[in-house]
Amino acid sequence: TRLAEGTPRRSIQLSNIVEQRIFNDNEIISTPKRSRSKLADEVVDEDYTPKKSNQKTPTRPRRSSTTKQPSATKLKEQAPLTPSQKLKKIRSGELSPSMEQREQPVDESRKSQLQLAREQLHVSVVPKSLPCREKEFDNIYSFLEGKIQDQCGGCMYVSGVPGTGKTATVTGVIRTLQRLVEKDELPAFDFLEINGMRLTEPRQAYVQIYKQLTGKTVSWEHAHTLLEKRFTTPAPRRVTTVLLVDELDILCNRRQDVVYNLLDWPTKSAARLVVVTIANTMDLPERLLMGKVTSRLGLTRLTFQPYTHKQLQEIVTARLAGSEAFKGEAVQLVARKVAAVSGDARRALDICRRATEVADTADAQPGGIKCVTMLHVQQALAEMIASAKVQAIKNCSRLEQIFLQAVAAEVTRTGVEETTFMGVYTQIETIAAFMGVALPAPGRALHLCSKLGAERLIISEHSRHDLYQKILLNVSADDIHYALRVESN
Amino acid sequence: MHDSVQEIAKTRRFLKERLQRDYTTVRGYESERNNVRQLLQRTAEMGESNSLLLIGPRGAGKTTLINAVLTDLLENKSFVDNTLIVHLDGNLHTDDRIALKSITVQMRLENAADGKVFGSFAENLAFLLQCLKAGDKKSKSVVFVLEEFDLFCTHHNQTLLYNLFDVSQSAQAPICVLGVTCRLDVIELLEKRVKSRFSHRQVFLFPSANKFEDYVSLFQHLVSLPSNKELQAAVDRIDSLQMFKSDAFTFQRNHFDGVEYAFDKKHVENWNKQIEKLIKTPAAQKTLQMLYDFDVSEAFLKTFTFRLVAQLKADAPHITVEQLTALGAQYECDDKVELLCGLSVLELCLLIAIKHHSSIYDRDPFNFEIIFGRFSKFAKVSTTMQGVERAIVLKAFEHLRIVELIMPLSSSGMGKVQKEFEMHKMALTYGQIQQAVQRYQALPTEVAQWAQSSII
Repeated sequence: TRLAEGTPRRSIQLSNIVEQRIFNDNEIISTPKRSRSKLADEVVDEDYTPKKSNQKTPTRPRRSSTTKQPSATKLKEQAPLTPSQKLKKIRSGELSPSMEQREQPVDESRKSQLQLAREQLHVSVVPKSLPCREKEFDNIYSFLEGKIQDQCGGCMYVSGVPGTGKTATVTGVIRTLQRLVEKDELPAFDFLEINGMRLTEPRQAYVQIYKQLTGKTVSWEHAHTLLEKRFTTPAPRRVTTVLLVDELDILCNRRQDVVYNLLDWPTKSAARLVVVTIANTMDLPERLLMGKVTSRLGLTRLTFQPYTHKQLQEIVTARLAGSEAFKGEAVQLVARKVAAVSGDARRALDICRRATEVADTADAQPGGIKCVTMLHVQQALAEMIASAKVQAIKNCSRLEQIFLQAVAAEVTRTGVEETTFMGVYTQIETIAAFMGVALPAPGRALHLCSKLGAERLIISEHSRHDLYQKILLNVSADDIHYALRVESN
Repeated sequence: MHDSVQEIAKTRRFLKERLQRDYTTVRGYESERNNVRQLLQRTAEMGESNSLLLIGPRGAGKTTLINAVLTDLLENKSFVDNTLIVHLDGNLHTDDRIALKSITVQMRLENAADGKVFGSFAENLAFLLQCLKAGDKKSKSVVFVLEEFDLFCTHHNQTLLYNLFDVSQSAQAPICVLGVTCRLDVIELLEKRVKSRFSHRQVFLFPSANKFEDYVSLFQHLVSLPSNKELQAAVDRIDSLQMFKSDAFTFQRNHFDGVEYAFDKKHVENWNKQIEKLIKTPAAQKTLQMLYDFDVSEAFLKTFTFRLVAQLKADAPHITVEQLTALGAQYECDDKVELLCGLSVLELCLLIAIKHHSSIYDRDPFNFEIIFGRFSKFAKVSTTMQGVERAIVLKAFEHLRIVELIMPLSSSGMGKVQKEFEMHKMALTYGQIQQAVQRYQALPTEVAQWAQSSII
């Protein structure tokens, strides 16, 4: 079935045949597949910009061709395409994907200071030079520059928890190197980039790499052989290729053939391939990968530490440069809170952005200028970090609260975390009698149980097990006591 | 006379339709609603990318809130022109493959034609990502509404969530990811890289009627008729919505529309006065309190009210306290006891034998032989049960098993053990059997006495 994925569907071939009939093509319908597809290509060449090479293995990357491609709007003017023709064009990389355009463009002129700050704080706005990552930048830069200068291949492994600037730093290095190439201070190189999470399965990595080289979509087997050919056969005037592999752990399957291939090609002298791999865990090569793969990955490794509160503060203030939307201590509060939890830069920026929204909706300061103060940041922090379990318990109905109390009481009675519904029901009987509430029938109590289970205040089995289902408390018993005690006062 | 009959029918139809089909009216939740609306507005107008999770218990009005916000926003043209709305549901889109096809169709991408998507799963994903990457602030904003968000977390590798959140955190087409779920701990389900990319905005929706007085006034609102002025305002709002018959809003096709209803002023006054009087009575208060103690959600109250309204007839033109209390009693009663009262005397005898066995051996499991032995002891000395054959008792035992009053210990053990020897447990409390014995119609005195004591 894998084979079938890459090959065009039967309907597509059929529609070609129909077209040939209609356009009085004198080619015999039962021509072999190869020649027919060539004919189709020639027809395409007449209609569209001629940029077709019949070479099977392109020796030069054709990445620049993406800019020359006819846009989708241009295609529409000529003739409406049938869907299967469109798909063919997508596969051959001739139809550039596009989004619908908005009717009115975003109004850039009238924006308040807070809005500008909010835009600056968005995670997608990557600064030209990342603050607090100079050392890592130099490390990767010298590695890549050395490899490109020496025209040899190699591997590097970069790790760190999410949100510590791994991908941003690596792409920053690449951008700097590309600028050097433009100034002719460095030999030219190609840059390819794949992300494990953007693939449906590990083998699609071949397809994506090949697509970035040529713009064509082929089946993974085909892409694999073509890449193998490209990297193993020596060719004069081959430039160095830098391959960035993000989320490496997703590419690891049981056989590990994809990871092996990606890391094996750099060892070939003909390949001139430099692979930079990124993942979260530091010990991934030893923990997950096979010996031969770990060996090929080498020991050139780099770890990104989580940001400290000083660094986070620097990052936020660097983004806000020149703006007075934030009070100094407000930024410090965010930095300290986030650094204590995860050291994730995305988190800090998101909280700051939320704080600007809070300040936006709040009343203006006496001075008339809107500014983010400590109070706004505190509200944003409460919204984004605090858990809502206590509030959820407070908002439960009376019988649901009794149910939760009963589960907690049963846990205390038995001393075991896991309780059965029957034990809880006897506790409900006791508590209901004590509080003077009408006792709910077991069926209704099961309804309460499944309702609390849906909210995940408790963890319960399927109610098919009836009286014998096991119930676990998903909140701490202290939370229940706190929520109910405070309410009653 | 005929006129008033019609009026009652109209009232009933109006109340029913308002209960069932009014998808866009939200009561309360002012700050939450503003929060979501501003977020969507910024996405549409400024081209910001955002993500948000709407969390609340079932029946709290999460979907209604989103519908209300979207219909509010659809009134201004700048929102309609600049946004695409993509609806996904975790129950329908059970894996990323199906979800991706649906996204491709709803975004009207190039590789979709009339609802049919071409290419494989990998190709679709690559194409969607390319499209989003090609977009910038000039392209339309896309609002993704993911209902049952927790089910999307179970997909393989969470590929779809990662990619949607990743787009919202990079300089690509402006999108807003709006997750809706009832699980409070949904964030813990996300993988760490997906969690890092999520912006951690969470809006919690807890039932608005968290005081009994609010609950009563909500009930009053649900059953009372609006004045003509209010009715006209609602009609105008719906009419303005109908202008945008977009594909994204299928609910608008069948939305509650007050236009066909015009009530006599006197009738409305009369009706509302009657309702007000009804609510003040202690019996009604008690029933409502019972409902409120059980479940505070609006959805629960609505089903109750629907059943109440459905009882309106020409010869019973008003909602009475008796109807209310009778319906409340239906909610309170135990269905299993009803089921027990429908059993034959033989089956009830077996259950009593099971109860005796359970209380003596502290809920130990039992099989047919044990119970049959216990039952035969009673049958021998009783005058009514003497001639019962073993095969008939086995059939009765099997019947108990089919209605799941007794359950096998393990479902895998079937087939290995003969059916007379398979161990079972009882899915009833002692109190339920006790109640059934008391309520059973024409139960022989012997059986009732035997139920009291296990001496025989």
